[in-house]
Amino acid sequence: MKRKDISIPVEQPKRSNPLANVFDELMDFCRSRSMFMLHYCTGCGAIELPPAMTSRFDMERLGIQPMVTPRQADILLITGYVSIKTLKRVIMTYEQMASPKYVVGICSCTVNGGMYWQSYATAKVLKDYLPVDIYIAGCMPRPEAVIEGLRELMSDIKQGKANSWQRYYKNYDYYLGNQQKLFGDNWQTPTDIIAEARHYNLISEQTEGKHTAVLQQHQKPLEAFEARLKHQQGQAREQ
Amino acid sequence: MNSEIEPRLDKLLAGMDDVRVKLIRPRRIRIDVPSESLPTLLELLQGKASYVHLSAISCVDWIDNGEFELVYHVWSYESQSLVSAHTRIPRDPGVYLSIYDLYQPAAFFERDIHEMYGVFFEGSPDMEKFILTEWDGPPPMRKEFNSEEFVNQNFTWEEYRPEWLEEIEAEGGGIVKPASHARR
Repeated sequence: MKRKDISIPVEQPKRSNPLANVFDELMDFCRSRSMFMLHYCTGCGAIELPPAMTSRFDMERLGIQPMVTPRQADILLITGYVSIKTLKRVIMTYEQMASPKYVVGICSCTVNGGMYWQSYATAKVLKDYLPVDIYIAGCMPRPEAVIEGLRELMSDIKQGKANSWQRYYKNYDYYLGNQQKLFGDNWQTPTDIIAEARHYNLISEQTEGKHTAVLQQHQKPLEAFEARLKHQQGQAREQ
Repeated sequence: MNSEIEPRLDKLLAGMDDVRVKLIRPRRIRIDVPSESLPTLLELLQGKASYVHLSAISCVDWIDNGEFELVYHVWSYESQSLVSAHTRIPRDPGVYLSIYDLYQPAAFFERDIHEMYGVFFEGSPDMEKFILTEWDGPPPMRKEFNSEEFVNQNFTWEEYRPEWLEEIEAEGGGIVKPASHARR
């Protein structure tokens, strides 16, 4: 339920406008009351979402709505075990989302592998690969627990504490290193995270390092990911 | 009718040597057959005894005997019964004949077994990777593949009893399991 606090001290530049902080708080409040959720339903936890979203427990009264595309969503909800193949897609989905973005890991599997801890095919600790804002543990958590967890996320956003997306830019080298360990050194996503970090002014000492150096050696310019089966690729080439 | 299934099969298989038929339950029949006569058996079952539906092919790794056991489950809609044909092949080199020409769904199962156990089926239309397209390790369902060891080498674990949990435990929550039961 509660998340481990590994926040990094952020140096805020001095702001000349005395009302700036007030605006920020207002923005955070508004943001916390209107969230679009992309539910990446990887495992059994997905079963608990329809009752949580629909009339029985009704997430929408809190201002949380399901959204169909990553680019228009605020929350990435990962419900259950993440196989290594899936994790690649999850990371690409996450990187496509616009900041600020929040990751919620539902079920024990996202915390520590859950009942699949012995499996060769599933990634165990989600927060090694993505910055997780909040974990909702349980196997599976009931809709009440899901909603309780999302309320916790809302209050974090309201207080300006939910800044894991900044952590991804600031510690990109760490996350990329874990990803490379699992996927091999040739791993590359279509998103240029370092350029984005520069854009958001979130470059830190840990953004670039030895893992990003490996990435830059083979990184190709933006290229669409070809998520097709082998025989389909063959057909496409023949055409 | 059900009690007639076994005598009928016995009659049908009378010409085959080394075939053992055993009635496990009224509509569940086990046939043990040496690997060289399995295609003949399946052809007889399909052509003469209406076992037209191949439900599954499963594989068991008997590492101590150095054998793979292949189990072909075929179903008859007429007699409403399931026959499991068990056969054993040597683990090394682990090559066997495909039954794709008899039952076309076999291609799917054989491809899966090839991926999970490394058994090669001669004559199967496609022995490419199926689900584990991004896996370069050994076939993971073989007994010599130690999944736990692989996991411990490749993954790190979340701390089982982190600091922030103490706070929750002080309020009466937390993990009920004693620490001695925690994972290594």
